[in-house]
Amino acid sequence: MKRSSFLCSLAVLCAVPFIGACKKTETGGAKDGKLTIAFLPKSKGNQYFVTCERGARAAAKELGAELLFDGPTNSDPAKQNEIVEGWISSGVDVIAAACENKEGLSTALRNAQKAGIKVVTYDADALPDARSFFVNQATEKGIGDALLDNAAKLIGEEGEFAIITANLTAANQNAWIKAIETRQAEKYPKLKLVDIKPCDDLKDKAQQETTNLLGAHPNLKAVISVCSPGVPGAAEAVKQAGKTGAVKVVGLGLPSENKAYVKEGVTQSVILWKVEDLGYLAIKAGAALADGSLKPGATEFDAGKLGKLKVEGDNILLGTPFAFTKENIDQFDF
Amino acid sequence: MHEMSSAPSKSLKGIFARHEVVLLLVVALEVLIFSLLGRNFLGEANVSNIFRHSVEIGMLALVMTPVILTGGIDLSVGSMMGLCAVCFGILVKEAQFSPLLAALCSVAIGATGGGLNAFLIARLKLPPLIVTLGTFSLFRGLAEALTKGSKSYSGFSDSFLALGNSEVAGLPAQLWIFIAVALGVYLLVHHTTFGRSFRAIGYSPEGSRYAGLAVGRNISLAYILAGAVAGLAAVIFVARIGEARANAGIGYELLAITAVVLGGTSIFGGSGTVCGTLLGYLAVAVLNNGLKRIMDYELLDRKISDMASELSGLLTGLLLIVALAITPLLRILATRRSRSQH
Repeated sequence: MKRSSFLCSLAVLCAVPFIGACKKTETGGAKDGKLTIAFLPKSKGNQYFVTCERGARAAAKELGAELLFDGPTNSDPAKQNEIVEGWISSGVDVIAAACENKEGLSTALRNAQKAGIKVVTYDADALPDARSFFVNQATEKGIGDALLDNAAKLIGEEGEFAIITANLTAANQNAWIKAIETRQAEKYPKLKLVDIKPCDDLKDKAQQETTNLLGAHPNLKAVISVCSPGVPGAAEAVKQAGKTGAVKVVGLGLPSENKAYVKEGVTQSVILWKVEDLGYLAIKAGAALADGSLKPGATEFDAGKLGKLKVEGDNILLGTPFAFTKENIDQFDF
Repeated sequence: MHEMSSAPSKSLKGIFARHEVVLLLVVALEVLIFSLLGRNFLGEANVSNIFRHSVEIGMLALVMTPVILTGGIDLSVGSMMGLCAVCFGILVKEAQFSPLLAALCSVAIGATGGGLNAFLIARLKLPPLIVTLGTFSLFRGLAEALTKGSKSYSGFSDSFLALGNSEVAGLPAQLWIFIAVALGVYLLVHHTTFGRSFRAIGYSPEGSRYAGLAVGRNISLAYILAGAVAGLAAVIFVARIGEARANAGIGYELLAITAVVLGGTSIFGGSGTVCGTLLGYLAVAVLNNGLKRIMDYELLDRKISDMASELSGLLTGLLLIVALAITPLLRILATRRSRSQH
């Protein structure tokens, strides 16, 4: 009996400091006419989404809206659905979601729409009938153009280049490579794509493949990596071959993974969208959808500090990707 | 440890001595806190969510109870859910089975996998922890191999998805299945000689054998039942998410074991009750859900609801450790006191 009553009092004791440590939010109780926006990342600990969240919070503050933020902390595929269903029952106005499982999360997002909640997706889309708009961080053409334009500028629009990809069947990567090839044919007749090598999304393999490329093509002027592990991999190979600066490295990746190589001058530019702006735009779009200023069929969207952005169909475009270089890479921490 | 007397104790002290009563108070305390601090916690939609989001884990906990009562453990049930979910997806989307037939196949596949565990444990006398650690990897690996790691099946009919997303007679559809499984396991464990033998086996396998119990057969039944119900849980999971993928049920085995042990079942077997497991499951499910509702309070400058996943892990762990540590702690204190009196 002692044991049990002790257990009881312990449970209470555990609960008391927990409640004591909490403080009521300034906004106080639920639904005082304020817009409530829920923001769902693919996963919570990921620096990419932490950066997204920062932008989302800035937008919510600007709008005077309440922001809820939760996401999976493990790989349980049901977590995103559970979080969304929780938000539905607590009566939020807007949900902005990045989908880990496209089909799976669409089930929950459809339920949200049925409950009158406005849904936008960002970063990774749901099925089209499960959301009103997708906030698209970069189109295939946008990424392809940015990669090739940067590489072309670096090597004087003339000479051989090679591409490192994830694997030859990856849909995303193939679309970007196609965009690069189209751009080359249209705009840079003196550039020549000599090889495309897969790295299986592994840095080591990318390094190996780049070393082979450097041996096989002595006139190679640039390596473009269309997958993120490929960028530091290619840079390491170029560095070890003593070709720093002679062979330029350009790729799609996170600035944080490439900072060291960029500063050493091995990698010249890393292409990515401004992740913080993506979170900002997702919240802005969600709020505009809720107050009726953004409607299906719109061709333009006024995104506050980001200016007027293009809307293509049901995609709101964040704009051209950003090039992180030696000059600006220190300002970014994702 | 917490032997249940068959005749309920009349005294107040006796009532509080029962682990189940204490757990009931813990659950009541959780409900009280969350309804005071949480937003819409007791709203109909949220109460539905509590169960909708957790019946799969609850079902695994129910069938984990007989396994642990026999002194065993089954780490493979979560992976089995992944395998059954994938098989269900393939049967419906590629072999054009009706969802009902595919669901029956899923249960049968689960039972077969459970049978493999049973054979290795009851027949070859291998330790349950090692055997199910092996099948834990094996089943998930098979699921991943069948889908090449990334393929998933979706686009199921609305009538099937209703199993995971609709209400029947005011309750989530899948809760009715859960209630049926709970009743079945309760009757098996507490009201059949077959089921009562689980505790005897866990308490003393050799003794049970000498007493003429079919030890091997009864242990086998516990693992086959666990596998079959994991197959059923997989179907419910797919109906809820709308997608069949190899990662279904990841980590669920540990949540189920947590509920069982929190419910007062000894991890060494021999003692425990199905009611205890249900309350242990409820304590975890309510905690997981309730933290997500505390949207108006902050801790370290963040809304509590924004840290719900992290906090529920932390608090579940704390609850479990406190519940387990208390008996030995009190024993040590008692011996100290009696020593100092001499």
